Amino acid sequence: MKINLSAKYAIRSLSRHLRRTILSVLGIGVGCGLCLFTIAFIRGEKKMMIRAAAESGAGHLTVAPKEWVNTRDNDLRLENWEAKRREIAAIDGIRIVTPRVQTDALLAFGTRMRGILMTGVDPPTEPVANRLVQKLVEGRYLESGEIGTVVVGRTVVKRLNVALDDDLMVTVAGQDGQMSSAMLRIIGIIETGSRELDGTICHVTVEQVEKLTGQQGATQLTILLENPKSLETMEEQLRNRMGNSAAVLDWEELLPEMAAGVEGDETWSRMIVLIIMTVVFLGIASAQLAAVLERRREFAVLSALGMKSGRLVLIMLMEGVVLGFAGALLGLSLGAPTAYYVATKGIDFSGLYGNAEMSMSNILFDPIFYGDFGWWLVPLSFVLALAATSLSSLYPAWYAARTDPARALQVEQ
Amino acid sequence: MSVSVIEAKDLSKTYEAGRTEVQAVRDVSMTINKGEFTAIVGPSGSGKTTLLNLFGGLDTATSGSLSVVNLDISTLSKRQRADMRLYYLGFVFQAYNLVPVLTARENVEFVLELQGVGDERSDRAGEVLEELGLTEFADRRPNELSGGQQQRVAVARAIASRPRLVLADEPTANLDGENAEILLTMMRRLNTEHDITFVFSTHDPRVVAYAQRVITLVDGCVDKDEIKNAGSC
Ligand SMILES: Nc1ncnc2c1ncn2[C@@H]1O[C@H](COP(=O)(O)OP(=O)(O)OP(=O)(O)O)[C@@H](O)[C@H]1O
Ligand SMILES: [Mg+2]
Repeated sequence: MKINLSAKYAIRSLSRHLRRTILSVLGIGVGCGLCLFTIAFIRGEKKMMIRAAAESGAGHLTVAPKEWVNTRDNDLRLENWEAKRREIAAIDGIRIVTPRVQTDALLAFGTRMRGILMTGVDPPTEPVANRLVQKLVEGRYLESGEIGTVVVGRTVVKRLNVALDDDLMVTVAGQDGQMSSAMLRIIGIIETGSRELDGTICHVTVEQVEKLTGQQGATQLTILLENPKSLETMEEQLRNRMGNSAAVLDWEELLPEMAAGVEGDETWSRMIVLIIMTVVFLGIASAQLAAVLERRREFAVLSALGMKSGRLVLIMLMEGVVLGFAGALLGLSLGAPTAYYVATKGIDFSGLYGNAEMSMSNILFDPIFYGDFGWWLVPLSFVLALAATSLSSLYPAWYAARTDPARALQVEQ
Repeated sequence: MSVSVIEAKDLSKTYEAGRTEVQAVRDVSMTINKGEFTAIVGPSGSGKTTLLNLFGGLDTATSGSLSVVNLDISTLSKRQRADMRLYYLGFVFQAYNLVPVLTARENVEFVLELQGVGDERSDRAGEVLEELGLTEFADRRPNELSGGQQQRVAVARAIASRPRLVLADEPTANLDGENAEILLTMMRRLNTEHDITFVFSTHDPRVVAYAQRVITLVDGCVDKDEIKNAGSC
């Protein structure tokens, strides 16, 4: 098999100016590698944020009363929550289902007091669904059906100037607006490392909330999936099962701020990729234009021999594709190992946050961020590099094609 | 009866150079017949290059009519003129004719590829080079060839596609007497053996001596048009 002469011509022209070609390939490779790294990092960050959100209590999916979706009214209760819970728990691919019920409460100790959103939980399943509970540093967590006990965050303890085993006076507004109070003993203290987050933690049993508010049942069922990738199909399935009796929300609907944050980061990564690729594009375009200017006479002779502009554009595009191919390989060899490192070792941001854990919208993040890594890097690299180089060859090609051969022959003769 | 390859009537080309106009070719009328071996001579700036470019459709005339290989140039699109050059014409320039990154054989092959010749183009290129005694240079790149050798490869490339007309603009200007003679002998042989019409411009009186017909341009006008005895030199 003979390779097409035009291809040979394109490749040899590139190797004739080896220095320029190497610089071009370096430019494409470094740019492409940077893009791969950025995209891998942001993809990983997104996965992590979703995981952090899900495991910080928000779950992958939440089942709540229909009305709750818009009002977020904590006085609403799910119909037959226990039956629903059993039904959902039986579905394949569900890691855990845990009920929650919340109420505004006033915590008081002596002359100090503090308003807080108190959460009624199911003690056996809550620690599985909520990584905050795993940060219990003093005492113990709640037990099933327990009444008269509370687990709070470190900041609550500090503000109220209390300690383990102290009794807090808890007041809530009951169903009919009547005040209802109880003395709850602090049996456990949670310290996530985030002061803000630790100021929001106040866990009691579902039964305790029922007793205080006089209202039976739970408001939400929080669901963690075995595999977060099945989110959409699971959501669909649950919606069908719940029908009209309850709404199903995913984490994006539950935490719109977080969803906006994730989307913001993705927009950033797209911008960065766009900027890098634009720089690469301009660099290659100017290098290719220089190559064309240098070969004006060569092209003029060929066009005198009857070569049409289409062929010339093809030759220039081939040069671009060869550059792009080499650049993509270099980009992969730079980007993939860095992405792999960040995917396995992670980047530690704890220094940035003064060794404290990071939190946002009541979500606890790991200070170490892991990127994503996979085969998708390979096609992405080629798409990026080839798009940049073939596009950047077009202008020089067009310029060369419209050069008047008689002029070009005259100039340098 | 002779068949005309070029027919020019009142052909003119005016360039605009800033405010002034330069009439590079004025009212040139001539007929060049098939099989002729014609030299176009004249002082520098007399319009030789311009005229050859017009013949090759590389440039368009300002006025007058021109038919080349029976095609009315003024009615052809840029693309059609390219096709005309590709299938009916060959070109040789003063220097730097060859694609520097391709070997002699590949340079010849390239034109055949443009014509859409398939797998046999390599063999055909080889045959042309052999016919012109250039086989030993076939796999060399232009920078590994002397100026004379390069020009001979350029002629080989020009005739590889069996054109009806070869236009050569000062093909010997960069060559010494001996190489100029080799090139002209070769062109003349192709002219007589393959009946290819040649029109070339030159300054060199020794080259002029090879010509069968000599057209002298002065200031863009045909000053003299002499037909000599065929083959005399
Ligand atoms: N693109 C152009 N713009 C303006 N004037 C031009 C252009 N090309 C040629 N000319 C003018 O046209 C005239 C004829 O030029 P041409 O190149 O045809 O001469 P020539 O006979 O080939 O000269 P030489 O022997 O030096 O090659 C000259 O006066 C030249 O300056
Ligand atoms: Mg000239």
